[in-house]
Amino acid sequence: MTSPPIGLNIRRLTLLIALAFLATSVGVGYWTLDVAGLQGDPYDPRLYATLRDRPRGTILAANGTELARSERGPNGYVRRYADRSLAQVVGHASLTYGASGIEAAYAESLIGQDAADPVSQWRARYLGEATEPARVQTAIVPAVQRAAAAALRGRRGAIVVLDPKTGAVIASVSQPDYDAARVGDPATEEEAWRQVTENADRPLLDRARQGLYPPGSIFKIVTAAAALESGVDPKAKVRVDHPFRADPSWGNYSVKSVTGAHGDFDMNTAFVRSENIYFAKLALQIGADRLEEYAARFGIGATPRCELPAARGQLSISGDLDRPILVADTAFGQGELLVSPLQMALVAATIARGGSLPTPHYGTAVLAPSGDPLRLVEPGAAAQVVSPETAITIGTALVAAVNAPGAFAAGARIPGVIVAGKTGTAETPSGAPHGWFVGFAPAQDAVAVVAVVIENSPKGGEDAAPVGAAVLRAALGR
Amino acid sequence: MTGFLAVIGARTSELGVQALVVPATFLVVALALHVFLVAVGFRGDQLLLPLALGLTAIGLVAVQRLAPSVLLVQQLTWTIVAAGAFAAAILIPRDLSALARFKYTWAILGLGLLLSPLLPGIGREINGARIWIQVGPANFQPAEAVKVLLVVFFAAYLEEHRELLAQTQRRIGPLPIPPAPYLIPILLMWALAMGVMVLQKDLGATLLFFGIFLAMLYLATGRPAYSFIGLAMLVAGGFVAAQVFAHVNARIVSWLDPFAEELRFGPAYQLVQGLFAFANGGLFGAGLGAGMPERIPVVWSDFVFAAFAEEVGFAGALALLALYLVFVFRGMSIALRAPTPFLQLLAAGLSFIVALQALVIVGGNAKLIPLTGVTLPFLSYGGSSLVTNFVIVAILLRVSDISARIRGS
Repeated sequence: MTSPPIGLNIRRLTLLIALAFLATSVGVGYWTLDVAGLQGDPYDPRLYATLRDRPRGTILAANGTELARSERGPNGYVRRYADRSLAQVVGHASLTYGASGIEAAYAESLIGQDAADPVSQWRARYLGEATEPARVQTAIVPAVQRAAAAALRGRRGAIVVLDPKTGAVIASVSQPDYDAARVGDPATEEEAWRQVTENADRPLLDRARQGLYPPGSIFKIVTAAAALESGVDPKAKVRVDHPFRADPSWGNYSVKSVTGAHGDFDMNTAFVRSENIYFAKLALQIGADRLEEYAARFGIGATPRCELPAARGQLSISGDLDRPILVADTAFGQGELLVSPLQMALVAATIARGGSLPTPHYGTAVLAPSGDPLRLVEPGAAAQVVSPETAITIGTALVAAVNAPGAFAAGARIPGVIVAGKTGTAETPSGAPHGWFVGFAPAQDAVAVVAVVIENSPKGGEDAAPVGAAVLRAALGR
Repeated sequence: MTGFLAVIGARTSELGVQALVVPATFLVVALALHVFLVAVGFRGDQLLLPLALGLTAIGLVAVQRLAPSVLLVQQLTWTIVAAGAFAAAILIPRDLSALARFKYTWAILGLGLLLSPLLPGIGREINGARIWIQVGPANFQPAEAVKVLLVVFFAAYLEEHRELLAQTQRRIGPLPIPPAPYLIPILLMWALAMGVMVLQKDLGATLLFFGIFLAMLYLATGRPAYSFIGLAMLVAGGFVAAQVFAHVNARIVSWLDPFAEELRFGPAYQLVQGLFAFANGGLFGAGLGAGMPERIPVVWSDFVFAAFAEEVGFAGALALLALYLVFVFRGMSIALRAPTPFLQLLAAGLSFIVALQALVIVGGNAKLIPLTGVTLPFLSYGGSSLVTNFVIVAILLRVSDISARIRGS
């Protein structure tokens, strides 16, 4: 005496269960077929599974010096790093805590499963073969790297040096640094990880590409480019009277001249004396839209395209310059601006190479175990963001900013070489201002672009300029 | 049939097990159960036991692959115990329908078992959940047995009160208000589920108990609205609990964004490692023993499915889900053929336990729902779960045997 209602309910419930299994199957498929792209995630321990049993690929400097290599120890292979000042760039590789830097970005190549070599990928996957790891060649120049680390001398801050022709990073320092080998070694990883993550100065952070700071006066390069491309004559005199208040709506607020200036300024003298009021007036004259457009063209407030993660920063909190005071403040690099040293090095590189913004990259090639290149790292194409004329005009002003009598950036001079550059002293709520220098040399055909930031440095840009000069000198082989 | 699937199970075992002791022992157990059923003149469903044994064999392979070796011996021992419990459940209740008469005994027994881990002396807190009792050398999760007792109780209780369905309903606005014999158990069960969540910190059991209850409520009344009201109450209770209790909140936050910096090395570590295991599975998997699922903490209990998916891929995972679905279909078809409403509700409720558990833990592994510590039936390491599941199989077989005899005679 089967009771019909229950039978019907059982059928319906069974149908519901079947549908739930179907939905679950779709969900399982989503993850197993890796729609989300988790494979190769720097935190996947499978990428470091071979850490102890087999050597990982060597990471090389531009001249072939080994920056990271696997050494056989009593408990299997451990990773050795040649230069602690490259800790954040080369990164660490830990079975427990994942990897960072080049160890993460090239993780698949370093275990012999580079995408350029699908055969070894398949053999490893389906035959369980231990393929020989590939080597990763970087653009790091050890001499410049050493000079940069020495010039910063343990002060909190960062230096990044680019080859303006290629966008390759030839040196990068972020202080404080950490001992990547200890984080990677299973015997010490737990304590080392605790130390680096609990350190309030955040040594894991690569300040050169992930640190965000107000740029101060070095941002005037972007303001100048926007003004020149909007038809402003660099020779035209602009009246500067300290303090500057555009109209009564500003209330008590005013833009201040660092030198307390009263006089007429053209673009060159404004760069030499780092005249805030000149650039504030220029920005108000061309308007918020133009300044926003050129900031965007230079990659301000956008994530740099780079194989290592790089911070985005912001033009302002809202992303727009929606009030005149904010336009004026942004013009000389304050307001709500946040930039990374890498972004500002790219701005300087754009001026150095005639107006095209290069794509930054750390690796240059993945080498097969035989030593032949498996693939070259192809950075994206450079984009022409300002005209060559604009770049030359600003480049000339930057030469004056270093070399003219009484120039603020005089500390960046190198005897026998023409240096172009700009200092910045960025005010910050966190205490003493951040000192900045961006520059390149030789000015007429640059081989190196540098960006320096020194956190909470008493004399600001004046402290940063000689650091920049020391790094450029090393890059020039002097 | 038993032998056939058991051989498949054993063959799979050989891939991982060097010693032949485990597959041999398993084969003997499987064969013994088969002979036993023939000996007692069993006439019911022929597929359910082989399915259960096949899943158990896969479970043994998984435990051998993933867990410390001492657990394999334990799991094998538990398999033998489970086989004994199966035989006992086939033999002992002479008349299955008589179970309905003692329904309040089952309810009180279930409640007592459920509360037993809270007793000092025998209660044990393991991994933050107070759901274990220790009797002699063995740890046991009483919640596993409670599920079966609950189904027996609900089946009896709901059968008794089914006729109320004919009554007209009262409503508050658009909401139908269940008549008191339904309303009171809904409220009691909800209170019980919340209690389990808060006092025993066992989200999995909360979900299972309440889910089983709602499903059986629907089966008996045919009114989905009652179950939806109950479901809404559970979600609301869970939401409030997530605000108030850290252990609930951690599960929810980890589920929403496990890859967040502050979670991936903390509360969401297990889930993230499980997702990595899935992602490395691909279509056909890395091959048994070739993956790296051992990086998932306590993989052999909560994450067997993710580990399995890594090594046998999407295809293998689908096959495994299909085995469960076939099991549930067989169980439900036994329920359809059962001669009395009590037996129908009993069989459907027991089948639903298996379905819900598989869905909850697989869904938790695959980040479809918040992760809860529920075992994958027959597969996960765990004795209480294995014994309970074999008792479920035994009761389902008894129901099918009864139907077959009525039809046959």
